[in-house]
Amino acid sequence: MKKIIAPLLIGAALSSAFGADDSLKQEIEALKVQMAELKNAQAKLNIDALRAQVSEIKAHDSGDNVKFNIDFRTAYDIIDYKMQTPTGASTSTDNGVWTNKLILGMGAQPADNLVFKGALGAYTTFGNNSSSDQNGFQGMDWYGTQSPGDSTIKLREAYFLYFGDMGDVHYSASFGRRPSVDGFLTNLRAGNADPASPIGHNINMEFDGASFKFDVDKITGIAGMYFKICLGRGNSDADARFPEFTGYNGTNFTMADATAAHTPYSTNGNDAPNMDLAGLIWQIYDDGQYKVMTNYFKGWNMMGANFTNLTNVNPMTDSYNVSLTDVGDLTGGAVSFQVNGIGDGISDFLDDSIFFASYAFSKTDPKGIHSTLYTAMGMNAGETEMLGSSDKETGYSIYTGIQVPGFMKDQRLGIEYNHGSKYWRSFTYGEDTLIGSKLAARGDAYEIYYTLPVVGKNLTAQISYVYIDYDYTGSDMFFDSTGKPMNKAEAAAAGATFIESASDIRLSLRYRY
Amino acid sequence: MKKVLGLLVSAFLLVGMMSTSAFADAAKGQKYYLKYMKDGSGMNGAKFATQHTQAEWKALFDGKAEKFIAEYSKKFPGLDAFLKGDKFEKFMPDIRDFCIEFASDSGNVPSC
Repeated sequence: MKKIIAPLLIGAALSSAFGADDSLKQEIEALKVQMAELKNAQAKLNIDALRAQVSEIKAHDSGDNVKFNIDFRTAYDIIDYKMQTPTGASTSTDNGVWTNKLILGMGAQPADNLVFKGALGAYTTFGNNSSSDQNGFQGMDWYGTQSPGDSTIKLREAYFLYFGDMGDVHYSASFGRRPSVDGFLTNLRAGNADPASPIGHNINMEFDGASFKFDVDKITGIAGMYFKICLGRGNSDADARFPEFTGYNGTNFTMADATAAHTPYSTNGNDAPNMDLAGLIWQIYDDGQYKVMTNYFKGWNMMGANFTNLTNVNPMTDSYNVSLTDVGDLTGGAVSFQVNGIGDGISDFLDDSIFFASYAFSKTDPKGIHSTLYTAMGMNAGETEMLGSSDKETGYSIYTGIQVPGFMKDQRLGIEYNHGSKYWRSFTYGEDTLIGSKLAARGDAYEIYYTLPVVGKNLTAQISYVYIDYDYTGSDMFFDSTGKPMNKAEAAAAGATFIESASDIRLSLRYRY
Repeated sequence: MKKVLGLLVSAFLLVGMMSTSAFADAAKGQKYYLKYMKDGSGMNGAKFATQHTQAEWKALFDGKAEKFIAEYSKKFPGLDAFLKGDKFEKFMPDIRDFCIEFASDSGNVPSC
């Protein structure tokens, strides 16, 4: 029996083995066919064409959306004021202020010749700040995102650019909320690589308007030369949506108010004037190393305080209504020079150093009659004046600074100085200095700052110190008698406390992406 | 307040010691472009950088930027001396960053 079973088993095993071998061969053949198909398909692929296609898609998609960027800073400022009272006593006050500042930038280019740029900002002291509710000037539009207040998000920039070429002249036209803070020169202390539009020495504030720029470097053969016409409105003479409801949240609402005609956004006697500006920026030269830029402007209807409802019983203690009125016009200009890289290959240190110097002037042109504090004190019945003078007054300012490499790679050290004369008046309300604009100072201002990268360019730390030594009062005020320059003795004679100096130490961490 | 200031200044110095290593700078690259290359190329920086995609610029600047030097010396003979000189070798990382930052597919929106 065993003799029969054994050959049968061997035969079955061999037959099975031969069957498996056939199946394996078939599978190998099928795989060979598939490999051949894959090789053919691969041979037909054009890698370069695919790369080009991916780049095309990337280029299209990158321009097919709004780009956002973030600029966020946490800072601690120690501010200190040294003062002299009318009696000659010295006094001081100081404070430590924590702030958060967020700027959300955006940009889009839907067509080759059309660009939109915008920025929203919130600049807040830590926690609640009651002054935002109490003071009408706290959230003023000129410095809405440049002076800390509450956490309200405000418009900082919103404009479109339309550009093209007229022969060899490249031009652009733009309307909207201007990129008018931290401009040329002041971009260095602000830690911004690219300056905004105007010269920061005499214009650094938020406003709306238009600009028309013409690059004439090709037709003149002078590197970087351009002209830019700037138009702006710093205040609109327009009342509220419900102008008569002035007593909505107070006590002055009368039957006359309730029954009056409602004329939204019309003008009334208490409105501040339309405050307009036209200017010309002329970049004379820019070859990447040497840059010379000038500006000249005229501002119409500068706003100043008009004191009304004067009881005049006790002018030192009684309160008055104050509205803002047209007190005159102001012209101004600046010429600024910057060297970005001193010499040519003398040393790495000098190649990476920046030096600048700037001169600016302002000139008042008083008009109209308004009530001043002196009117309130019964000293006159109203007067024509600007900055406390009925004459046309000229002021000037000089501004210089240097920024050099720090102790370690990519760190920067900056030192700046500026001096303003008695009647110097700038539009630098948007300068981000808690003690008030240093560039508006009638006196001497010094600044030193040190910036270092923490995580590349995305997280930086800065320590800065600003010290202002005032010669006259009224440096950062409006254009009326509140901006009158008085020296220490004159201030004492007028019963006013004189701020001798102010300082601001700031330590900050800044995230940008 | 003086204690807070002392603490913060100490933290600042500590952060300074921990700061990260050097990086190339597109802003510096823009400066070098204006100074050394604009006249030779006859176009502004924005236009120059959009000639290539980011990947193309990276390929051109690979190594010691031999491909970039070859292409642009031929394309703009006025750039030849600068591109083959010591200054370009020194400033090349910044110029490279500038080109990549504003490349045609960078999505960067020009400020004009």
